[in-house]
Amino acid sequence: MAYTKPIPDPEQYTFKPYWDGCKAGKLMLPRCLVCGRMHFYPRVLCPHCHSDQLEWVEASGEGRIHTYAVQHRAFGGWAEETPFVTAYIDLIEGTRMLTVLHGVDPLKPEEIKIGAKVKIEFEEASDEVSIAYWRVVE
Amino acid sequence: MPNNPSMAAAIVGAAESNKIGYIEEGTTATRLHLEAINNVCKQTGISPSEIDGVFSVGFSPQIAEHLGIHPRYIDTTGVGGSSFVMHVHHALAAINAGIIDIALVSHGEAGFSARKNKGNGTNRPQGDDKWSVPSQFEVPYGIAGAPSNYAHAMTRHMHQWGSTKEDFAQIAVATREWATLNPRAVMFSKETHPAGGPITVADVLESRLIAWPLNLLDICLVTDHGGAVLIASAEKARSLRTTPVWIAGAGENMSHWSMMEMQDFTATSAAASANSAYKMAGMGPGEMELAMIYDSFTVTAGITAEMLGLTPRGEGPSLWADRKASPGGSGIPVNTNGGGLSFSHSGMYGMMLLVEAYRQLAGIAEDGVNGIAGKQTSAKTAVVNGTGGNLSTTGTLVLVADD
Repeated sequence: MAYTKPIPDPEQYTFKPYWDGCKAGKLMLPRCLVCGRMHFYPRVLCPHCHSDQLEWVEASGEGRIHTYAVQHRAFGGWAEETPFVTAYIDLIEGTRMLTVLHGVDPLKPEEIKIGAKVKIEFEEASDEVSIAYWRVVE
Repeated sequence: MPNNPSMAAAIVGAAESNKIGYIEEGTTATRLHLEAINNVCKQTGISPSEIDGVFSVGFSPQIAEHLGIHPRYIDTTGVGGSSFVMHVHHALAAINAGIIDIALVSHGEAGFSARKNKGNGTNRPQGDDKWSVPSQFEVPYGIAGAPSNYAHAMTRHMHQWGSTKEDFAQIAVATREWATLNPRAVMFSKETHPAGGPITVADVLESRLIAWPLNLLDICLVTDHGGAVLIASAEKARSLRTTPVWIAGAGENMSHWSMMEMQDFTATSAAASANSAYKMAGMGPGEMELAMIYDSFTVTAGITAEMLGLTPRGEGPSLWADRKASPGGSGIPVNTNGGGLSFSHSGMYGMMLLVEAYRQLAGIAEDGVNGIAGKQTSAKTAVVNGTGGNLSTTGTLVLVADD
């Protein structure tokens, strides 16, 4: 089935390794060679210690729900998917990402648990772009 | 504080565009700016040619050119709806430094007409950078528009502090009460809007879900609105026919821009910007007799009440509980114009905070156009807080009535 939701045009400079990782089914995150901390979204300078010495490493793809909302109104391709659950995920690496949660019932928002474990999965949006989603696994 | 700018300048006039709200025949942001500027100049007796600093969200060179003036200070700070409050901070600094004498802060935004005119006339940049952080990491997940993001903060507040949808709904109910005293409020009455007039907590909870836990009545309006204030040096302010409202304190700050970087979803930088403003003023939250709090959403107002020190942490909505913040209530009045929730909100609401705070402290809140009996409070001090972006940027003022 064709992917009808917004497909980003991957930025080819600071964000490229992230998007290449998604395509390969891996979550790649920048890590600072000086302070050792990871961050997201990818930066030119480490947001923790401002070093420009950064490397890319494969992250665990595991995290927990920090907070969530149920979108009953959306635009473009997402309009046909309402209601759906968006969430901010705390990765075990200490960074945070936005996602659309898989494996939850948007009509029972009170049953979604902040702190619930989630795992990453990738959806092929086009020949060039895959997009990361997170699934509740407990 | 060395060279403390407190009281170095005053807001000396505040006005709106000729029409605000749902302007059926349509309008443009430029018209809204210029109508409001014309009105505030007439109110104060200040000629546009006397304005030597122009402050707006991105539109200052166009405004200056339209007026045919050559300002010595040009500021286009655009960090969301809080910007206008920051403009006052910047104007205060520029006046205190002796660079300018009279600053114009102007707002024009055709939020309602943009739908009719298909986005034209809003003076907003067309299209977003496809390589921006939102385009790359937020839009792909259906995040579009403020409600879709702000809802996450309310969920977290309910989880972390035990607050409820009912607690936040009270904010909308109390704010609507004030709107019923403002004939220019969109939700003034059933005559001005089919859904206007008083509402109950049940009405809020039964209104359409937009982004759970936010229902329609937790969310601000989208209107056309123009507004302008003039700020003058102390000496100039005392020479005018209007009543000055003194800028005792001002501060600004930010915690993040993308919501991915919001460390605590139940806190904003208003704690920091308010701290700066209170410190400059030499006053504290206990001395504030009126609060004008940016209410893009009930949750915005609730969290901000905590940040401004008006309630304990986690208990923001209690400021409005039991009609305490309503007309004639036992607490301090809050959002006496009817707020972004029920008065007018064009996309950025900061100017509306400034105009109402000026009117209240200048004693002209019941002008028959923007207020009827019961709207004028006895407040002599006010805290004003704007919130912009995704709970990202804040500006805070402490204003004091002329004695």
